[in-house]
Amino acid sequence: MEKLIEYLPFLIPIVLLELLLMVIALVHIFKHENYRFGTRWLWIIIVVFIQIVGPIIYLTIGRSED
Amino acid sequence: MRGFFAFTKKEFREHFRTYRIIILAAVFFIFGMFSPLRAKMLPEIFSSLDMQGILINIPEPTYLDAYSQFFKNMTQIGLIVVLLVFSGMITNELTKGTLVIILSKGLPRHTVILSKYLVAVILWTISYAAAAVLNHVYTVYLFNQVSGEGVLFSLFCLWLFGVFMLAVIILASTITQGNYGGLLLSAGILILLMVLNMFPKCQRFNPVSLAANNAGLIANTVSVSDLVPTVWITVGLTALGILLSIFIFQEKQL
Amino acid sequence: MSILRLEHVYKSFGKLDVIKDLSFSVSEHAVFGFIGPNGAGKTTTMKMILGFLKPDAGEIYVCNEKVIYGNTKTNRYIGYLPDVPEFYGYMRPWEYLQLCGEISGLSSAKIKDKTDELLHIVGLDGVNRKIRGFSRGMKQRLGIAQALLNDPILLICDEPTSALDPIGRKEVLDVLSVVRDKTTVVFSTHILSDVERICDSIGVLYQGKVVMQGKLSELKNTYRQESVLIEVEDKSQVSLLEKEIGKLNAVSQIDVFENSLKVTLNQMDLINNAVLELVIKHNINLKKYEVLEPTLENLFMELVQ
Ligand SMILES: Nc1ncnc2c1ncn2[C@@H]1O[C@H](COP(=O)(O)OP(=O)(O)O)[C@@H](O)[C@H]1O
Ligand SMILES: [Mg+2]
Repeated sequence: MEKLIEYLPFLIPIVLLELLLMVIALVHIFKHENYRFGTRWLWIIIVVFIQIVGPIIYLTIGRSED
Repeated sequence: MRGFFAFTKKEFREHFRTYRIIILAAVFFIFGMFSPLRAKMLPEIFSSLDMQGILINIPEPTYLDAYSQFFKNMTQIGLIVVLLVFSGMITNELTKGTLVIILSKGLPRHTVILSKYLVAVILWTISYAAAAVLNHVYTVYLFNQVSGEGVLFSLFCLWLFGVFMLAVIILASTITQGNYGGLLLSAGILILLMVLNMFPKCQRFNPVSLAANNAGLIANTVSVSDLVPTVWITVGLTALGILLSIFIFQEKQL
Repeated sequence: MSILRLEHVYKSFGKLDVIKDLSFSVSEHAVFGFIGPNGAGKTTTMKMILGFLKPDAGEIYVCNEKVIYGNTKTNRYIGYLPDVPEFYGYMRPWEYLQLCGEISGLSSAKIKDKTDELLHIVGLDGVNRKIRGFSRGMKQRLGIAQALLNDPILLICDEPTSALDPIGRKEVLDVLSVVRDKTTVVFSTHILSDVERICDSIGVLYQGKVVMQGKLSELKNTYRQESVLIEVEDKSQVSLLEKEIGKLNAVSQIDVFENSLKVTLNQMDLINNAVLELVIKHNINLKKYEVLEPTLENLFMELVQ
């Protein structure tokens, strides 16, 4: 366990980047009513629970064009 | 030439404002940092778990594990991300019809393809290079030792495969119609190539080999000369793909 | 000199022959109204002029240069406003015009000047929002600005007024009348009042051909005739009315339809009362009595019937 804490400085930027992606996607979800497919709740679940890939799927093929 | 620069500038702006650049940057930074760390931490995670007396013998990880972790992440999620990020770049414009006004200004059609491909290759190259450098620095820091042999060539092979994949995406998007046609056809082509790669006879000619032997190249279980023909074939197929895209796009009714 | 010339152009989509032997030309500084009902092939024709669709046969010339499909060279003379203009939603209006200017090869100073000027003309100056939030009318106006950016010799607008409310329509038509001094304008429409407002010549597209072409004023004179449409409640009274009206001497022609008559007259004023007297005398129940104006509308209906 101590060893894990030793690696914390390395892990923090990774977690921050993941959170960044998630926040960008969530902000976009809440700012828009319509999506190419799926509903708001579906996308929130996908974005929050599927790390990295969830936000990416939303931002690349899920979000509406405008 | 002005038209080319103007359209290229627009492409960069588009990739930035549609989140594509930030996605690539974030994902590839994560992979660069996470891969060596994971390799290093794996035995410690196991030893920290209470295994109820079952003895698991995990050898001390080395830089080879870090690199194979890196390539595993890159060739799996990394390439899927590339596919997701870039498969929209032509499809979106064609389904929405945003190119109509641009082309009515007299921009040659081949410029559209070349500019889009160039920008995609540049973005892939920068994000891939950033991931590779991060991974290397972390690996050296955590494992204190990296033998240079094969590393560069192995990294080059995966980069070239990415460049090939972008050509596949461009070609697939010019052929198909609809929102997801480009994505699905590209995925289909890549899956087909992967299936073909299960037959040893095909491997020499198959670009997928460039993304399947990276760890082996570093561990010296695969020699560079085995892959040199594949490199040339991939270069040829990439050029062919782009030429074909230009030709098809030229004939496309908008 | 003719700025635009089509010679025996054909185009079909599968089994649907949309354009059949289409020929017409537009001379310099004309405002040419390209008229036709929905689905007549106006958009198709314009796309062929721009090299976006490939004609099955025939030739198209812009400024005496042949249009080659897929090759966008002749487009440098053209400003094009598509029927539904699509922009990059993530850009601001001036960014979009800058992109268009750079692609057209204008100098940076010229782009700056033209952008300011055109955004002012179309009433989008000071709008710094991204285009994705624009209304249909705003997009249409940005579309016009974009089409005028490179001082085109030929301005092609595809139904620029169809989707707009009366105010938006007037604004667009006003912009088009302003630019007519400098450019030749071709615009398609099915709204005939727009044509009467700004066009000096027209071409009517019907069943794949231009069935009528010429100066608006001349065409109106040639086709001028005065007529009334009489619609009755009871079908059986149509023939009675026909017979009685036929006896009047100022009547040049009677067309009989299901439950109505179209009476073409030589002298409107004299005969009008005579016809009405007949109606009263025979106790005919009128549904409609309409003096048909010699409008473009009638002309058009006549052609497409
Ligand atoms: N890409 C296409 N494929 C098949 N049919 C088409 C296509 N484009 C237009 N058409 C058909 O051609 C006809 C003419 O269309 P269009 O040129 O858009 O008419 P207009 O602009 O005069 O309303 C219509 O019947 C339309 O359905
Ligand atoms: Mg139309």
